Amino acid sequence: MQKKSSSFFRNHRASFILLVAVVLLPFIVGLFEGASPAAVWANQGGISKFAEGLGIEIFILALYALSYDLIFGVTGLLSFGHAMFFAVGAYLTGIALKTFALPLSAVIGLVFLASIVQALLFGLVLPRVKGITFALVTLGMASVFHIIIMSSELGSYTGADVGLQGVIVPSFINPANERLRFYFVALVVLVLIYLLYQRFVNSPTGRVCVAIRENEGRAKMLGYNTFAFKLAALMLSSFTAASAGILHALYQPIVSPNVADLSFTVTALLIVLIGGVGTLSGALIGAAIYRLLDFGLRRYIGENASFITGAIYVAFVLFIPYGIVGTWRAKSFRIAEGWRRLLAAFKT
Amino acid sequence: MSTFFRKNLLPLATLIVIIIFFLAAAQGMNSQDFVITLLRGLSVGAVTFLVASGFSLIFGLLDVLNLAHGTLFMIGAYIGWTVFVRPDTFVDLLTPLALALSGFTLRDVYPLLSDRIRLSLSMKRILPWALILVSALLFILVLPRYPIAGWNLDNYAQSPVTYSYMADQGTRLPPPTVAFDQISPALAIGGLLLVSLLGSFGLSLFDQSARRSPQLTWRSYASFVILLFIGLITFIFNDALTNFLLGLNANWLFFIAVIVATLSGAGLGALMEMTLIRPLYSRPIYQLMLTIGLSAIGVQIVQAVWGRPEFIMPKPTLFNGSGASCPATNFSSWWQGNCSTILLLGGRVRVYNEILIPIIGVLVLIAVWILLQRTRLGMIIRAGVQDREMVEALGINVRRAFTIVFALGVGLATLGGALAAPSMGLSNAMGESLLLDALIALAIGGLTSYPGAALGSLLVGLIQQFMIQYGQIGISIPFTSLVLKPTPPIVPASTVLLMVIILLILPNGLLGKKE
Repeated sequence: MQKKSSSFFRNHRASFILLVAVVLLPFIVGLFEGASPAAVWANQGGISKFAEGLGIEIFILALYALSYDLIFGVTGLLSFGHAMFFAVGAYLTGIALKTFALPLSAVIGLVFLASIVQALLFGLVLPRVKGITFALVTLGMASVFHIIIMSSELGSYTGADVGLQGVIVPSFINPANERLRFYFVALVVLVLIYLLYQRFVNSPTGRVCVAIRENEGRAKMLGYNTFAFKLAALMLSSFTAASAGILHALYQPIVSPNVADLSFTVTALLIVLIGGVGTLSGALIGAAIYRLLDFGLRRYIGENASFITGAIYVAFVLFIPYGIVGTWRAKSFRIAEGWRRLLAAFKT
Repeated sequence: MSTFFRKNLLPLATLIVIIIFFLAAAQGMNSQDFVITLLRGLSVGAVTFLVASGFSLIFGLLDVLNLAHGTLFMIGAYIGWTVFVRPDTFVDLLTPLALALSGFTLRDVYPLLSDRIRLSLSMKRILPWALILVSALLFILVLPRYPIAGWNLDNYAQSPVTYSYMADQGTRLPPPTVAFDQISPALAIGGLLLVSLLGSFGLSLFDQSARRSPQLTWRSYASFVILLFIGLITFIFNDALTNFLLGLNANWLFFIAVIVATLSGAGLGALMEMTLIRPLYSRPIYQLMLTIGLSAIGVQIVQAVWGRPEFIMPKPTLFNGSGASCPATNFSSWWQGNCSTILLLGGRVRVYNEILIPIIGVLVLIAVWILLQRTRLGMIIRAGVQDREMVEALGINVRRAFTIVFALGVGLATLGGALAAPSMGLSNAMGESLLLDALIALAIGGLTSYPGAALGSLLVGLIQQFMIQYGQIGISIPFTSLVLKPTPPIVPASTVLLMVIILLILPNGLLGKKE
């Protein structure tokens, strides 16, 4: 028993170091400014609070990209309507808290139900359309949803094109006063769902999903009801994206209707492509890179940042052919070999 | 005939239902509004068709979802504007462009050269990068010193908006004079040529597949010499050419602008396919990321060069008159007065927007149809859309067809952009919305079907315009006294809803073939 757990730790050494680093990040950043860990713990303002905010955004984005990786990277369904999953979570949370003043637990239950319903809605069209047509139908559904939340008739609930604002966040995780707690809540949610996804992909169900991606006809011929597996992946993905939406609605002061836009789906697609398609950890790394790149370029270059972003995407495609994690896996042996040779050269 | 009906029962039934709905809803409209809305729908449909058909050809043959297509449409509009409003800038750009491209025509010569070079393995790896780096540095050094008459985005009096406005008023601002900046003309031209040669040699070193031993004939050098010649001629006769274009009738200048936009789009497309898309045929998903990235770059370039404010491209004088005889009542009076509007069934119809653009759309439709149906290239394309590997196995060079189709598709998009610029206006966002419309049109008509692209674009254009019209007058629902007024968000939603419904009934679109 002892031996087994130690090998588990050894196998995932990098992941654990990363996790500890992320947990300690607010305190370390605080130290740079001279703020003591106690001050950081007490949520005093400053650079560490800012870093926490950036971290929370990355966690939310990572959660959202993870859910896209499940249906796109693992199951092989190209969907252009994924932003709807996220936006339903965000808007439902916002409206339920603001207009109906429901408790948070009830909101989570409600979002869970809604996410199942929208996965079923996508599932409705699943047997009829395949490939790029599925992408277009989901794009159509998401556009209709986007138009609904933008419409002025529902403005008193959704805030129309301004966005949903004035959501009353329960005080125990209010991001303004209890940001560190929010940071850890988001981190815990992310880690739990990541572990769940790892378990899912390595389970027999997940294996069938991979088989569907590789060759659906063959999976069908082997006797699997591919529709059920795709629907299961869609439901899990929908729920994850909706939980990312809950966090988004709680964290952001305004939920802008842009989160239901095609460009937000494209964000998920880009994150997954940066990280590596079908590698769950790639979604996390991709989200961090995407958000930090966006933030850094916008801060230091300004309005023309998206030129550089576009150039970086093109360079990524040409030089890191399978995303960061995908290329690392494909070439890790050669990279390790190179390191060994380099170290050997230094020793002699 | 009866088998045709039996085979296509579902698409035909869907189409008939759409038409019945359409006619039932249109009954509350007077004929004047009806004609105008119909023509506007045709116009939007024609522009959408120009983008959608290229997209569909590229997707059908190459399996590439070119999400940069909308951006290329926009670039076409801006190129057309530049040639039309600022011919002097266009002429100034000709020389550097011809010189920069000349190196790439020596493709067949480079393998011989690289075989002669004997270097160690690591040096061979570094060499292409070093060449490209040197070439890029030289380019950055030379180009800002090369005289290109432009505009000044920071100064409103010299911004594209002002130039556009003045040209619309019929007076041209005198082009600013520019001179070589701390560099002699010979050095600048030689530098640009060197940039091109080094850069293209460096790029050719990456392409290991080109290592065949070509028979060097005069053909290998011909295009290089021609481009060099064009570059030098345009440099020597720069002023004469500028004055010629400035003195030209605005109609001819507009024609030239559209042609230039189309050709440069085709060139851009060929370049894109050869350098960026080609390495990605084995990883189709990453083409999405590449085209998204290119699209972002394109929008940024347009913002940096032409600025963010929207402006309108002036119409050619043939469609811009407003004399005493306007609006014209028939063709001959329009011809005499060159009126911008014409009276049709009591409604004022803009000649350029609502008559010329649909006509050009139909002409392009027929031309590409003939290309696809009656030529050898078209046969290869059609066969390639159905089964690419089989065509390759028959020994036909599909790769060459790939490049041509990509160039054709992008050329169609830029043609659409240049044509739509006077009616839609130029803005940084014009590409995105049109790409979405084109995608919807293709989904409705059938993704890889050429007639489907035409039908889908027509439906999208008509439904959009009729919905906008109904927003003003309301739909009278048959057999009731209810009047439904669609609010603005319904306009995009209506086409999207139609797409979803059609795709659920017919997953391959109205005219798409079953896989």
